[in-house]
Amino acid sequence: MSDLIVHVTVNGEARRWRVEPGDLLLDVLRREGLWGVKRGCETGECGACAVLLDGEPINSCLMFAAQADGRELLTIEGVADGEKLHPVQEAFLDHGAVQCGYCTPAMVLCAKELLERSPKPTEAEVREALSGVLCRCTGYKKPVEAILAAAAAAPKTRGKTARRRRAAR
Amino acid sequence: MFDRIRAFHRPTSVAQALRLFEAERRRGGRGRWVAGGTDLVVQRERTLRWLVDLTCLPLGYVRRVRGGWAIGATTHMAEIEHSKTLLALANGILAEAAGTCGSRQIRNMATIGGNLANASPACDLAPPLLALDASVVIAGRGGRRTVPLDRFFRGVNRTALNGGLLVEIRVPAPPKGKAAWSYQKLGRLQSDIAVVNASAGVVLDERGFCTRARIALGAVAPTPLRARRAEALLEGRRLDGAAIDAAADQAAAEAKPVTDVRGTAEYRRAMCRVLVSRALEECARRVGRSL
Amino acid sequence: MSERNVVGRRVRKVDGVKLVTGKTAFTDDIELPGLLIGKILGSPHAHARIRRIDTRRAKALHGVHAVLTYKDVPRVPHTTAGQAWPEPSPYDTYMLDSKVRFVGDRVAAVAAETRAIAEEALRRIDVDYEILPAVLDMEHAMDPGVAVIHDEPDSTHILDPKRNLAGDIHKELGSVAEGFKQADLILEREYRTPRQQHAMIEPHIVICWLDADDRLIIRTSTQIPFHVRRQVAMILQIPVSRIRVIKPRIGGGFGGKQEMVIEDICAALALATRRPVKIEYTRAEEFHMARTRHPQRLRLKMGVTKDGTMVAHHMKVLAATGAYGSHATTVQGNTGSKVLPLYRAPNLKFDCDIVYLNAPQAGAFRGYGCPQGFFAQESLVDEIAHELKMDPIEFRLKNAIRQGDTDLLSAELGEGKKGLPRIIRSCGLPECLSKGAAAIGWKEKRDAPRGTGRLRRGVGVACTMQGSGIAGVDFAGAFLKINEDGSFNLHVGATDLGTGSDTVLAQIAAETLGVSLDKILIYSSDTDFTPFDVGAYASSTTIISGGAVKKAAEKTRDQVCCFAAKMLEAAPEELTCKDDRVFGPSGKSVTMSEVAMFAFYREKTQLMEGASHFNTDSPPPFCATFAEVEVDTETGQVRVPHLVTAVDLGVAINPMQAEGQVEGAVAQGLGYTLAEELVLDGQGRVANANFCDYKIFGAKDMPKLTTILVETEEPLGPYGAKSIAEVPINGVAPAVANAVFNAIGIRFRKLPIRPDAVLAALHAQGAK
Repeated sequence: MSDLIVHVTVNGEARRWRVEPGDLLLDVLRREGLWGVKRGCETGECGACAVLLDGEPINSCLMFAAQADGRELLTIEGVADGEKLHPVQEAFLDHGAVQCGYCTPAMVLCAKELLERSPKPTEAEVREALSGVLCRCTGYKKPVEAILAAAAAAPKTRGKTARRRRAAR
Repeated sequence: MFDRIRAFHRPTSVAQALRLFEAERRRGGRGRWVAGGTDLVVQRERTLRWLVDLTCLPLGYVRRVRGGWAIGATTHMAEIEHSKTLLALANGILAEAAGTCGSRQIRNMATIGGNLANASPACDLAPPLLALDASVVIAGRGGRRTVPLDRFFRGVNRTALNGGLLVEIRVPAPPKGKAAWSYQKLGRLQSDIAVVNASAGVVLDERGFCTRARIALGAVAPTPLRARRAEALLEGRRLDGAAIDAAADQAAAEAKPVTDVRGTAEYRRAMCRVLVSRALEECARRVGRSL
Repeated sequence: MSERNVVGRRVRKVDGVKLVTGKTAFTDDIELPGLLIGKILGSPHAHARIRRIDTRRAKALHGVHAVLTYKDVPRVPHTTAGQAWPEPSPYDTYMLDSKVRFVGDRVAAVAAETRAIAEEALRRIDVDYEILPAVLDMEHAMDPGVAVIHDEPDSTHILDPKRNLAGDIHKELGSVAEGFKQADLILEREYRTPRQQHAMIEPHIVICWLDADDRLIIRTSTQIPFHVRRQVAMILQIPVSRIRVIKPRIGGGFGGKQEMVIEDICAALALATRRPVKIEYTRAEEFHMARTRHPQRLRLKMGVTKDGTMVAHHMKVLAATGAYGSHATTVQGNTGSKVLPLYRAPNLKFDCDIVYLNAPQAGAFRGYGCPQGFFAQESLVDEIAHELKMDPIEFRLKNAIRQGDTDLLSAELGEGKKGLPRIIRSCGLPECLSKGAAAIGWKEKRDAPRGTGRLRRGVGVACTMQGSGIAGVDFAGAFLKINEDGSFNLHVGATDLGTGSDTVLAQIAAETLGVSLDKILIYSSDTDFTPFDVGAYASSTTIISGGAVKKAAEKTRDQVCCFAAKMLEAAPEELTCKDDRVFGPSGKSVTMSEVAMFAFYREKTQLMEGASHFNTDSPPPFCATFAEVEVDTETGQVRVPHLVTAVDLGVAINPMQAEGQVEGAVAQGLGYTLAEELVLDGQGRVANANFCDYKIFGAKDMPKLTTILVETEEPLGPYGAKSIAEVPINGVAPAVANAVFNAIGIRFRKLPIRPDAVLAALHAQGAK
């Protein structure tokens, strides 16, 4: 049994995980009950495992759990505010952007991050934000429409400046 | 998948990283450096026994240094893509190339050091770095050594690292004068590993003659390469349509492409010609030359 | 059309909130104490006999609970195809066998405490193979002297195993020989289509365990829960009553889950260990060990008179089913039966051979034989129209099947047996063509000069159709019961694989009962609690399962009216159900909740009704696909800036979901046309078994999509609905290929249309 402890904040809650050195973040997240993070390819291509790490989308299937130590994670479970859905979630439902729903958590997270960074994105920017999430059901049209609609409906705010990644802790 | 890993180290200094690497190496079993994991995890070597994680090292930076720029090895592709400094350098070809790598998620994880050390023949950053005469700084037991990038790649997934740690990439300041650079990438779809990628850079004198040319190709040989004979064809010559055609033809002849699921060798060779041509044409436009 | 309150509305999916918040919903989203991980050892060879297999070292590994080989399991020939019994596919598959027939074929299976231990156990299974010559070339699979893939004595319904011939189809309507004599123009062309992979984002996954009553519970990502139950019962030789299959939410199927892929072996491991066992395919296993679209070579000969009347069409198909024959004759049967009759040529002939290969197994995939057939037919039709200097739309309209026609070929080409003739009671194809043409800008773009620049643009069109359910075969049951608050539990066997059928069926029930959508609590695809349904395939759910729901809801409504009549002192026929109430002739009303309470507590009755439904016909949805392409003549790349799909779906129960089906199908069609191909190396191994090497379209690759729903009110469908799930994929490849011809004057008859092929053809053209 490993003595490797990872301290991480998940959806605003401090967590303490005991992990094996070779454990991947996706496996640990699902083991910890965060089933909204999906397994699709384990090679970082489909993006179904995407979560926000310190606010930036990453593929949890490619990250070692140990590398999340001291970081903040946001999964789909942390997007809604209790029963109050995030505007992107509402828009996805209103625009028929959810079919099988397997890639939906990843799309919602990438869209949320996009709109915080760029509140009134162009269609090209939306597609770029979704370019790392593969969907086999929707053809991407309604997800793109939903995100643009959520952006249009949002009150005008200044976007956060692009986060600079921390080079080291 | 990586169930045999006994240790995952997270050093905070290069010296500590080298010590840990050496200590584990002596303990035995196969181990590696890991940064973003975007190549290592995909490669799935289940015999790995130990890893030394580089993401806590202070190597995420883009800074001006004497004679040029230095990019820390663990700088993420996303940072390179959006770096104001690099967007302003050499028509932004480094930033542009970084932006074509994988997806947003991948770029937030992948590092320039990892991209180069993995030494895929299709490595997206290699052609622009080669075109900029970049070199890499490797830290090892005996101290640091600098290796020009065109001598760093030794074969498919093979480099001159020799167990050392790639810590920095050095880009010398381009020569003064009328200079322009271009990056081209061809994939099957928008987000893809390159079928062919290429970078070109030219420096022209007042008469519009090329005093220096750089043409670098990727995905058409075991390593990214400089098309030196094509470069030689351009140097000392007016940069015009005929020169570009000749250089593009020569560059295509210097390629050694293979056939794989992304394209046939013949197609790659033909695309070499097209991409070098487009790269040089874009250089000409950028430098204000009409062809 | 009378006013509809729920049907026809763009309502949110009933399971939408759960999906958009990432709640536990999918097969893997469950914690089971004692869960073991199951893994399958796949053959490294395309064709081999297992001379010796030694599992002792694997079994000795700490944490391994079971290792199964062919010696440990019953040998029951079966098909893995999800089809109504008796399945028309050969019974040529064994849970585990002493012979392997493709790279990835099952050799053994293990169950262990962790994935790592299971993978290590696989490595410790010692197998001595006698390698046999691999049959990899479809065109030589039947040659004399070629290795026999199915030389086992106990397989059945293989047409000619010694020649590797899984099945054949030979049907003729009229006489094409006579028909060609009347033709002024005859063209003969050959087309080739590749193996395409479903690439659904959720891989195949199943968890099996024994409940407290020792019944086998199968929780699986499947399109066919009831067929799975029957198949597993047969293969494991246990009664159907001892098995329960549960289908949670599914992360995509597209036909790849119209198949019992891993449920049997997982169940066997659960029985052997008496522990819960999970098998989840890795993405690599998806590419090797799941199913693919059937690759085909199609040779078409079409004859027309000089005024553009099609008089004869002969289609000859050679298809490869891979190592096992699931869906072999039925997919290819569709290539004939759904494609040829689109045009009213009086002489039609369909000849097809389906051969075995030591290659990954083919199976059902959205379109089910139609994408292949329509690529060929719509390309050839385009070529003939061009030869005749006729407008391609005009040519198609002239020859296309019309409302009131009878398609007699369907009667010849049923699901493995004689089918039923198809009467076209609704046909919106002309409207699809005119609306689609307007949306793409057909006239302006066709008239525009081609230009000589590097980028060349063109537009192309294709007409296609499909079916809605399998006539005389597909059936469904539905059951409704009322609750005290006036809500209804709706139980259906119908399988929602992300298609939104739960929502659509709930809408049908709500509309019929006169209640709001939130009063319908739909529960689907649980073999213990829901009535039978063949499953989600053949575009059957809306029309067949919806038909059952409508019937059950009508019967329920009648019962409601009986009770309400007593409460309102009126005759049941005088009552109307609307707005969650029942209205009497005088305007007095009672709420549905009051009716429920009355039924329960006064009348001591549970108000409930069930119904089954099937059709003896399969009304086709019709589709016109228009593509605009841009060809880069330097790189050979084909980009599609705009794609228009105009589809006659009868009636859209939920237009938003219907559009989503179109857009998803088109994305898959574009991949099929331009990028997707499962590549095999010289040893029959998949060379591109990951998403890096097998590229599907991403968000930045997609064109502008225009979706036009045309409504025609089909009499055989609930509220006039037909279907939409498959037909939009069929026209993408030919529309794009025809557009490429319009752009650069070159016809591509092999999919995918790769840039290197385009470039080579451009050079050849330039050289002339």
